[in-house]
Amino acid sequence: MVTASDTAAPILETRDLTISFGGLVAVNGVDLRLARSEVMCIIGPNGAGKSTLFNLISGIYRPTRGQVLFDGQDITGKPVHRIAAIGIARTFQSSRLFNDLTLLDNVLIGMHTRTRSGVLDALLRPGRARAELDAAAERAEAILHGLSPALHARRNTLAGALPQADRRRLEIARALASEPKVIMLDEPSSGMDDRDTDALIGDVRRVMAEKPGLSFLIIEHDMRLVATLPDRVTVIDYGSKIAEGDYADIRVMPRVQEAYLGQRAANA
Amino acid sequence: MDSLLAQHLVNWMVLGSIYALVALGFSLLFGVLNVIHFSHGDVSIVAPFVALAVIQILFAGVLPAGAGWALVVALGVAIVVTGLLGILLDWLVIRRFRGAPAMMALVATVALGSVVRELIRMFYPQGSNPKPFPALIRDSVQIGGVQISAFSVLVVLVSVLMVTLLFWIMHRTPIGLRIRAVAEDRDIARLMAINPNRIFAVTFFLASAVGAIGGLFFASHAGVVRFDFGIQLGLIGFSAAVIGGLGSMHGAIIGSLLIAGIDTLVQVTVPDGASYRMVFIFLLVICVLVLKPSGMLGKPVFEKV
Amino acid sequence: MSATEELRASARPSPLRSLATVIAVELAAAVLLRLFLLSDDTAVIVALLALMGAGFALLQIRPAIEDAIVAAFGEARLAALLLGGIIVLAYPFFLNGSSYALHLLIIAQLYAVLALALNFQLGSANIPNFATGASYGIGAYTSALLAIHFGISFWLALPVAALVATVFGFLLGFPSMRTKESYLALVTIAFGIVIHQLLNNFSWTGGPNGLVGIPAPILFGHSFARPLEVFGHRLPSQANFYYLSAALVALSILSARRLHDSRVGLAWNALRADELAARCQGINVVWYKMLAFGVDAFLAAFAGTVYAFYVSYISPDNFTFIVSVTIMTMVIVGGMDNTLGVILGAFLLTLLPEKLRIFSDYRLLFVSVVVILFLVLRPQGLFQQRARHYGGK
Repeated sequence: MVTASDTAAPILETRDLTISFGGLVAVNGVDLRLARSEVMCIIGPNGAGKSTLFNLISGIYRPTRGQVLFDGQDITGKPVHRIAAIGIARTFQSSRLFNDLTLLDNVLIGMHTRTRSGVLDALLRPGRARAELDAAAERAEAILHGLSPALHARRNTLAGALPQADRRRLEIARALASEPKVIMLDEPSSGMDDRDTDALIGDVRRVMAEKPGLSFLIIEHDMRLVATLPDRVTVIDYGSKIAEGDYADIRVMPRVQEAYLGQRAANA
Repeated sequence: MDSLLAQHLVNWMVLGSIYALVALGFSLLFGVLNVIHFSHGDVSIVAPFVALAVIQILFAGVLPAGAGWALVVALGVAIVVTGLLGILLDWLVIRRFRGAPAMMALVATVALGSVVRELIRMFYPQGSNPKPFPALIRDSVQIGGVQISAFSVLVVLVSVLMVTLLFWIMHRTPIGLRIRAVAEDRDIARLMAINPNRIFAVTFFLASAVGAIGGLFFASHAGVVRFDFGIQLGLIGFSAAVIGGLGSMHGAIIGSLLIAGIDTLVQVTVPDGASYRMVFIFLLVICVLVLKPSGMLGKPVFEKV
Repeated sequence: MSATEELRASARPSPLRSLATVIAVELAAAVLLRLFLLSDDTAVIVALLALMGAGFALLQIRPAIEDAIVAAFGEARLAALLLGGIIVLAYPFFLNGSSYALHLLIIAQLYAVLALALNFQLGSANIPNFATGASYGIGAYTSALLAIHFGISFWLALPVAALVATVFGFLLGFPSMRTKESYLALVTIAFGIVIHQLLNNFSWTGGPNGLVGIPAPILFGHSFARPLEVFGHRLPSQANFYYLSAALVALSILSARRLHDSRVGLAWNALRADELAARCQGINVVWYKMLAFGVDAFLAAFAGTVYAFYVSYISPDNFTFIVSVTIMTMVIVGGMDNTLGVILGAFLLTLLPEKLRIFSDYRLLFVSVVVILFLVLRPQGLFQQRARHYGGK
């Protein structure tokens, strides 16, 4: 049953999320609330713990303390593949594609949780398994085409041969293929020039328009992206959240300037 | 009973020492080159064959009484030649797999081990027959009222000495510092004007020479040597290094003692133990790896994301 | 579109040309194999090898030829299958009644099954397994014991042995939950040695002497130990097992294809390429690894059962660590994750040492050197993995 409070409830929430490696506290008591359809950027200096936060949410690391909630359910400590299956997709800072497979296979693997056929289906009911995979391939092509016709044209080439900007795009396509409710992008613009970044902003906008229920959590350095895309910005420094709010508000906060924006804000 | 117990303890120490001499090579090579040199056991067992050949050349195969110096020469030559063989194999084959997937290097060195074995079998005079290997010392000594063969004492003493020497080289000499630098980060070491290939050669020499001592002791302990002894010795040495934690020299020693302990225990307590020893050794290996996936002293694999 | 892609597009042949290509390639392969099997002359064998080497060199220089052949087989798929089937069925009639040639073919086919079994693991998912020989042995011993002690027929023993081996396979896969690479490789080596030593020591497995007197299978009243008579043509008794193992190869190829072109094959490829990324796509990596061990053991046990009933005598030494390494070598030489390549690897590595008689003493040396050379010179194997196609395109 959907009530007013349900829709207002965050799709993704972290409570007091903390992890320490040895003596080093990499993420320290972070509370995040990501609403449905919201786009949130996470910014902060290098080594602030942003990627670690992603790894905590996707279950790669187990938090020392605190919780991760998805749609009100506690998912802390669940295995990585379970968390992916319930609807949290992600990309990696140094893109991790399946390099020796084609672009289409990469996107198809992203659909793993949306397809069913197991080993017995494949062996004993090949027609059904085949039909399911063919249908998935069709959707994968559509996703690839929707994101970038140029990428779609190269769908049968190996992912390892792609240039950096296209690798990031393909990773986004793969993440979208799992029909997630939350998509986490780890520095999508890193290694891109201005033109690619503009294209990326366009891509994300288009996805937002096509999938209105989808929420974004984006780690970013590029200020043009941070200034235009998100509804809210969260600033992390030394593992802790130090500010949250509108980009316009955030950028003038002295603490944020001190930690991160520094000279750039002064120049602006 | 007491002396029997002491005998078992001595046996344990002797086996543990021999296994450790081989296991150290596995661990050293893995630590520095990140490669499993599966033929290391076969390389180690080349040493007794070389020693026999030297004796053959010097004395037509029969050691005259009081020719202790000749034996020492033969052993010395065997150790050096085996060390050089290690370098040669690296240069011919193993270096071509730097940076290749681990499986490739593993399979290649498995094949390499079989090449070494076959070469001995085909080209060593009567290579397919077992060859008697002389006892290094025949005397026995009294320690605490217990009769112990001098050979056992020799094995343990030399092994302790070799381990100490290896640790000293690694931690107190410039070459050891360079080896550790290359092990830590090949590219940065190169930036510091260290030639990794020379370091690899030194590492292969050290590992193979120490393994050669293990091989010589193994042959002398058994009183016989055969071309395919290297499989078993290699498997046990590799297992010891792995359950200790690949790359850790302490781990290799602990793993060796553990395997030798099981080995001795099974032979003593299980009826018909001698034929089941490999079963127990490898069940131990499986158990340790299930409980501690990177061995006992291995660094836990921390996923870099 | 790049230059090579244009070349490939233009290389799309007409149906008639495809058919001609398929017929030419299959007949040539059959004739060359026959020459190889029946020749006692080392010079002929070496010449055939040289011819094959030249063929691969040509493919290496002109990949377009390989693509054209593959395209032709795709185009004339039905004809290729039909002709292939006819060749396999008719083959024993063209071997001058040589039971030795048939024996070689049986062994090569069983190794092809084993290599295909391992390929699910090593090729598709890059999981080391040095225990395929052990699964082969578990299958052989299980079925042999069932037949000898309980009089169970071959046809029932076959699936039972496969199930038993699969259980062991899953058991072996269990440590893969936590251990990886060299560590996992050692676990599988250890498993293989434990199985071998147990077979060697238990009295109920016959110890080092093994099991003797495994009865030949009987199908519709025809004992496989008797010569096969077809249309008044008398084939040696080996022909029975030739057809049996050929059927097993066909089954393995079918399974390999279906699994490769499925969600399961994709998941295996994903964890081969990047395990963490695979987990982040929702792939239960532990399950898929154990599954790979299970499938490997299942097929290997099939081969083991056929082997046991064929030779009617098995001993632990048929299932050693060296056997596992040989199977692994076949996969690597043939080409990881390429069905045809793996089969070719199995045939080459079984037949070559048998045929190079003057080198018979140097067999193991020769095989080992070939393996090392292959790993150095052509690490991708004879044939590389092929891309998948969807929706009949």
